[in-house]
Amino acid sequence: MTVLPWRFLAIAVLVPVLLVIAAAMVGANVGGGVERTLIVFFINLAAVAGMGLYCGNSGILSFGHLSFMGIAAYTSAILSLPVAMKNMTLPNLPPVLAAIHLDFVLALLVAIAFSMLVAYVAGLVIARLEGAAATIATLALLIIVHGVIIGARDITRGSQSFFGVPRETDIWVAAAVCAVALVIVRLFRDSVPGLKLRAAREDLIAAKANGIGVKHERMLAWVLSAGLVALAGVALGHFLGAFSPKKFYFHDTFALLAMLIVGGMTTMTGAVVGAVSITLVSEILRRLEGGIDLFGYQLPEVFGTTQIGIGLIILLVMFRRSDGLAGLDEWDERLLPWLFRRKMPEGDDAPKLAATKNEDTLVADTVTKRFAGLIAVDKVSLSLAPGEIVGLIGPNGSGKTTLLNLISGVLPATSGVVTKGDTVITDMPAHRIAGLGIARTFQNIRLFRTLSVRQNVLAAALNAWPKRSVAEAEAASAAALDWMGIADKAESKANTLSYGDQRRVEIARALALEPDFLFLDEPAAGMNREETDALMETLRKLRDTLGLGLLVVDHDLPLIVRLCDRVVVLNEGKLIAEGAPGDVQKNPDVITAYLGRKRQDDIAA
Amino acid sequence: MKKFLTPLILGTALALPAFGAASAADDTLTIGVATAQTGSLAPFDGPVIEGFKIAVDEINEAGGIDGKIKIETIDKDVRSDAAQTSIATQELVDAGVDVLVLPCDADPAFAAASISGAAQIPAFSTCASSPTLPVMGGDYMFANFPGDNVQATVSAKWAFDQGHRSAYLLYSPDTQYTTLPLYFGDVFEALGGKILGKATYKLDQQDFSAEVTKIKALDPQPDVIMTSAYEPNFPAFIKQLRAAGVRSQVIGSDGIDSPTTFSLGEAAEGVVFSTAGHPTAGSPLEKFNKLYEEKMGKKSETVFNAIGYDLVKVIAAAVKEAGTTDSVALRDAIANLENVQGATSLITYKGTMGMPVREVSLVRVKDGKRELVGQPSPDADLIPAPRMQ
Repeated sequence: MTVLPWRFLAIAVLVPVLLVIAAAMVGANVGGGVERTLIVFFINLAAVAGMGLYCGNSGILSFGHLSFMGIAAYTSAILSLPVAMKNMTLPNLPPVLAAIHLDFVLALLVAIAFSMLVAYVAGLVIARLEGAAATIATLALLIIVHGVIIGARDITRGSQSFFGVPRETDIWVAAAVCAVALVIVRLFRDSVPGLKLRAAREDLIAAKANGIGVKHERMLAWVLSAGLVALAGVALGHFLGAFSPKKFYFHDTFALLAMLIVGGMTTMTGAVVGAVSITLVSEILRRLEGGIDLFGYQLPEVFGTTQIGIGLIILLVMFRRSDGLAGLDEWDERLLPWLFRRKMPEGDDAPKLAATKNEDTLVADTVTKRFAGLIAVDKVSLSLAPGEIVGLIGPNGSGKTTLLNLISGVLPATSGVVTKGDTVITDMPAHRIAGLGIARTFQNIRLFRTLSVRQNVLAAALNAWPKRSVAEAEAASAAALDWMGIADKAESKANTLSYGDQRRVEIARALALEPDFLFLDEPAAGMNREETDALMETLRKLRDTLGLGLLVVDHDLPLIVRLCDRVVVLNEGKLIAEGAPGDVQKNPDVITAYLGRKRQDDIAA
Repeated sequence: MKKFLTPLILGTALALPAFGAASAADDTLTIGVATAQTGSLAPFDGPVIEGFKIAVDEINEAGGIDGKIKIETIDKDVRSDAAQTSIATQELVDAGVDVLVLPCDADPAFAAASISGAAQIPAFSTCASSPTLPVMGGDYMFANFPGDNVQATVSAKWAFDQGHRSAYLLYSPDTQYTTLPLYFGDVFEALGGKILGKATYKLDQQDFSAEVTKIKALDPQPDVIMTSAYEPNFPAFIKQLRAAGVRSQVIGSDGIDSPTTFSLGEAAEGVVFSTAGHPTAGSPLEKFNKLYEEKMGKKSETVFNAIGYDLVKVIAAAVKEAGTTDSVALRDAIANLENVQGATSLITYKGTMGMPVREVSLVRVKDGKRELVGQPSPDADLIPAPRMQ
């Protein structure tokens, strides 16, 4: 299930595979040191790409992936070691393991499966954590696995080197490993879970409010990337023939992370660029390390040149291009953008958003939110019927946005109940509420910034309930973009748009869910009068055509008055007035609280 | 796409000239030297290669082995790392070397053994003393040092003959060499002695208070404490042990045959250790030490200088015997060498499976200097069989 046309992805995947094969052919023909440098390069690249699958798409840096390399290398080594050898080098091996002797491919598969199982168990903890906490947890994983490998002396020979591993990794095995990793990594990026994960990386709250649960996607990426890194680990073990736990610890973690960071961790292209540049630089520096004769000057030997050099490169790249040398786009996205536009039918056949069939009313019953001592929302009741436009107004800090957050599940309510028809949604996570047909936008625009407009909208469209196909979701996205008049900007990056367009994308994203209710938090902020009028027109049409219920928060009073069927006024967390716009406007409490006495005349005028 | 291609081609072009294959012409013997010039094994491999170079220069200045075959070396630093040794060995095999020299510890040597064995190139560890090395490493793997089991037999017999009847063993399962005390325990018990206890440590450990407290708590105190710990473990251990007031005889092994041990002052006084040689008056070792001082402008402070010299002598003897630099012929010649005169002693490989028979010396630290305790021949029946531990 990918979110790009297959012919595009076929090219995106084939070219790197062909490059790997070409490089392998060069290596196999030249032989010697070049061949071995290439083998190590292929293995490193596979590992880096595998790490990138998780780190890049989830945005969570992992220090722990080398542990899967280690687990896989040891597992496969133990399984493929000849029995006679095992009896000599590992006299205390449990009898079950001592009797097994698998061939390379079988050992490889078992090793990867076992690593992924370990990753799944570790993921139960790690995939739940956010940001720095997750990163630190992966660090803990690295340390724990290192300790376990050393401690399991009878099986692993402890910190002594494990040797005698059949040397099965030639350049073709390494190239195959690398190609498999690159293909999987590239495809995952534009798979359905890949897109959702990237959306969540850009803005977790917005992702959840648009129906992305994240947990499953994150777990999938974690286990999959562990599997790829494990594949690289097996290849490495069978290339070296001997290794110790040290090989899968900080030093190599640093080396691989350097490649990931220098190249750019969000793309397969970045993994390739990073692996190529760090490999090149370390090969060059390694030679300088021994001291060389430069134009008659004898440079002294400096051990550690390589490490220092790589450190400096990371600094430089972070300083000049913090997204890495390859940036945020794949090479194919840069070079072949025309290829991935999917043609949508036009005219009468153009995709349309379906009108809602919802007949349930959304009801918030005496909801309250306390932040420590402050009561932000105090026993407010509110209802929103299908096809109704309700305005929610009140001075700054009156609790409007908090109330919106309570109903849309972004914040848990302290007390009170929210229902949609017979369904109680009070304690549901935000992404499930979105799936139930309640979509929203945010006051301080929360787009998936580095994703294209189309991807922003599609990431949401994929979560509509009942589940729909990618093609259906794409049709809904196109229709939503059309509604908001931004179809021509579909391939622009969200963060390159004007403020007004960003607001429109946010509304389109919410619309693509084909919701029953839509909450708009200051949709006209930053728009000029014409734009505001156009927006109002659109919103009214949305209600008339699709039958949505709209809840609009805004400071633009004329907009609220002209647009809404009913207005609810909050002050200091309490509901102080409710009714037709004209009535509310004249309510003295509202005038005092919200507008201030001096402005009464302006309103009357 | 250019983005990928350019670096690849560039990389290929850069890497090419660096690995030109050395020709294995019959008038030169090419020795691939992949040793640890940095890292934890450097205190051993460093001095070995000094002695090694002295011997190579000496032979080449005299016109080569047998007056005709010059010795060339290709050197690589493996940073005391097993994986790095494996890579360097592969590079040297590709370069077409005739003989390989590998690091001082069994583990990196093991890592390289499968490569050198497959390429049928004889390989020596500079100074690994684990008797399992040639057993596990195959027909093409040779050691260049008295085996751990032999050293342990010599020191255990000496301890027993001194009237010591109880011993405590401090070892580390982190490397083969640091498990030498287990051989000592076997011999000591076979002789009728008693092992009061064993403690383990980690290779990077600096704090031995737990182990020292255990030993201090023993009642009666052990007559002997045996360990094969070396730098940086041994200095830390012996200082903390003596500071705690434990006065037992401490026995060590060749790993502490270094200047550090003799500079520890009061703490190391009286320590006895087994090693590969002692410069008695008129001995080849005394002669070598003079040569070393002449060449290097400083005194030789460890027997590992002479060990490196020995290694070249052994290789040269094999080349002379085989009459060729062909690797397979060399292997057979090495396996049949008898009584090669090295700087430390006579060296014999014939009938040994690759672990040479050579003299073991027991040395005592006295007034910060070395004092010969004896150079006893071990009783063959007492020597424990090699084992992985």
